[in-house]
Amino acid sequence: MEEPLHKLYVMLAFTAVVFVVYMAAMIRANGARTALTHLLDHLEETLISVLIGAATVLIFVAVVQRYASGVRVLYPYVSGINLGWAQEACILMFVWMAKIGAAYGVRTGIHVGVDVLVNRLKDRPRKALILFGLLCGALFTAVVGSFGLKFVLARYGFGDTTPEMEMPSWIAYLAIPIGSYLMCFRFLQVAFWFWRTGHLPVHDHGHVDGLDETPALSAIADSDLFPKEPRR
Amino acid sequence: MSALIIFGLFVVLMATGMPISIALGMTVLSFVFTMTNIPVDIVAQKLFTGIEKFEIMAIPFFILAGNFLTHGGVARRLIKFATSLIGHWHGGLGLAGVLACALFAAVSGSSPATVVAIGSIILPAMQAQGFPPKFGAGVVTTSGALGILIPPSIVMVMYAVATTGMQMTGPSGERVSSASIGQLFIAGIVPGLMLAFLLGLTTWYRAWKYGYPRLAKANWLERWAAFKDSIWGLLLIVIVMGGIYAGMFTPTEAAAVAAVYAFIIAVFIYKDMGLKDVPKVLLSSANMSAMLLYIISNAALFSFLMTNENIPQAMTQWIVDLGLGTIGFLLLVNLLLLMAGNVMEPSSIVLIMAPILTPVAVRLGIDPLHFGIMIVVNMEVGMCHPPVGLNLYVASGITKMGISELTVAVMPWLLAMLVFLGIITYIPAVSLFLPRLLGM
Repeated sequence: MEEPLHKLYVMLAFTAVVFVVYMAAMIRANGARTALTHLLDHLEETLISVLIGAATVLIFVAVVQRYASGVRVLYPYVSGINLGWAQEACILMFVWMAKIGAAYGVRTGIHVGVDVLVNRLKDRPRKALILFGLLCGALFTAVVGSFGLKFVLARYGFGDTTPEMEMPSWIAYLAIPIGSYLMCFRFLQVAFWFWRTGHLPVHDHGHVDGLDETPALSAIADSDLFPKEPRR
Repeated sequence: MSALIIFGLFVVLMATGMPISIALGMTVLSFVFTMTNIPVDIVAQKLFTGIEKFEIMAIPFFILAGNFLTHGGVARRLIKFATSLIGHWHGGLGLAGVLACALFAAVSGSSPATVVAIGSIILPAMQAQGFPPKFGAGVVTTSGALGILIPPSIVMVMYAVATTGMQMTGPSGERVSSASIGQLFIAGIVPGLMLAFLLGLTTWYRAWKYGYPRLAKANWLERWAAFKDSIWGLLLIVIVMGGIYAGMFTPTEAAAVAAVYAFIIAVFIYKDMGLKDVPKVLLSSANMSAMLLYIISNAALFSFLMTNENIPQAMTQWIVDLGLGTIGFLLLVNLLLLMAGNVMEPSSIVLIMAPILTPVAVRLGIDPLHFGIMIVVNMEVGMCHPPVGLNLYVASGITKMGISELTVAVMPWLLAMLVFLGIITYIPAVSLFLPRLLGM
């Protein structure tokens, strides 16, 4: 399996070049510290968006291919494509998405807890408890990240591969240390901001896109969507 | 003993308000560190293998599909279709809202998404027509809960994932296999329609009693036009349910196909969304999915610890020895879940409770399929009452009504739901009739 690995390295090198150019531009524009945090933010967001989109398209294509190869006219065109690896690729993409996205979620405040009790407390103990929770998050992710790293290094030594794609399995497992350390960083970041300003990122489940545009809404209510002349 | 320590630790950590996933992880970590000889490395590995299953991937796909549908014009067309069918009865738009929620629930797997999609359109329209805001909010908050009962349903996927591959034995010692996603989806159809009917009945009765406005009757030509307009959304029901039932695709594949299909109708057919909005939808879906997957992987860690300490078996024996019988046990489970529904959101409850309770239920001779549907209905009730009912928060975001005001508003419908929960709990045939008929 020289060939796919070779491609992988080319891809990685290409990504590295793009990355360096991008970073150089960002640092020149905003200074090193802002550039770094912005880069991390963008990287997180772009990566998880691309992963969920790509996995969807991949599984859709695999399904279409399966049915297309049952059609006589299409058979010669699609039968040569082997998509047996699609399922495994999808799982790996989603594992990566889950780990990186969990870190992004700390920043957006989507990880919900049971805050009924905490919110009844007075300001000081409440702040202390919330900080404790955030630091527990940082501790847990740091521990998991370190064990994950140990695990990845052991896998690297084994040199084993995933069953379908025959990709080195340590690359797959790398999601755990990277995701966990990133999450740890986000917990510390949020804890720091909370300590300084007393604000937490809150994910507003009640927020509805476009609802603030009241003219649009009355337009809907007035439109022919609803028959006129309500009767008693 | 270890069961007490584990649960005690978990409850204490959770009470500090930290994310549930972290509370699960910390519980496992500290217990493994101090009380067992399990190599701690396993914790990291389990975090990976816990979500390494293709069935679980249905969840991000269904979330993505749901987000495309919410932002697209599918909801608006479904409402119009529902209005043309039953808008002239007592309850008018409200009754149409129940039907529209049921239809939307059949294409989406989440309750809050259903409330957002239908509520954000129909609530302002109802207020414009002179309905009291409380009435509309009550209808939409509770009908939106149909989202997780009428298939597809994210909570059902969670239940299937949480109980899959468990060693379960029936009352006479025979092996019982857990419920699959496909079975649960089929089993949810009859209860879903029944609940929609009950909520509709409540709406109709209150509207009739208070003389709320009705709409002019649409003729068949208008109905046909509304149907034709919403056909693209309705086709999704056929694709997902038909595809899974006919064995054309697995639930995960069906979800991926639904996501691509929803994208195409939102962007290219109804054109309610531009290509430039797609990255935003992808990002918010990824955000939500990652959160759920993170809970799943940590819950897998938690149930690994449970199994390792033989807690499900001990619990089963303990409850069987109590001699509660099926009726008492189901009552207890309902109370427990309703209580849990007060503080936690459905996915976490299902992931934590299902692996512990299902073996007990099976041992008492309860079908895991029936048990799963009962849990889902229970979660629906939890979503509609404070303090953490997600549907309430969404409805409050739309109507700008306070939570306590909304709580009063949903009462009549919530009572109907509780009655329905009783029916589901003690009449297994309601859930099992259709899957049995189809030989599943």
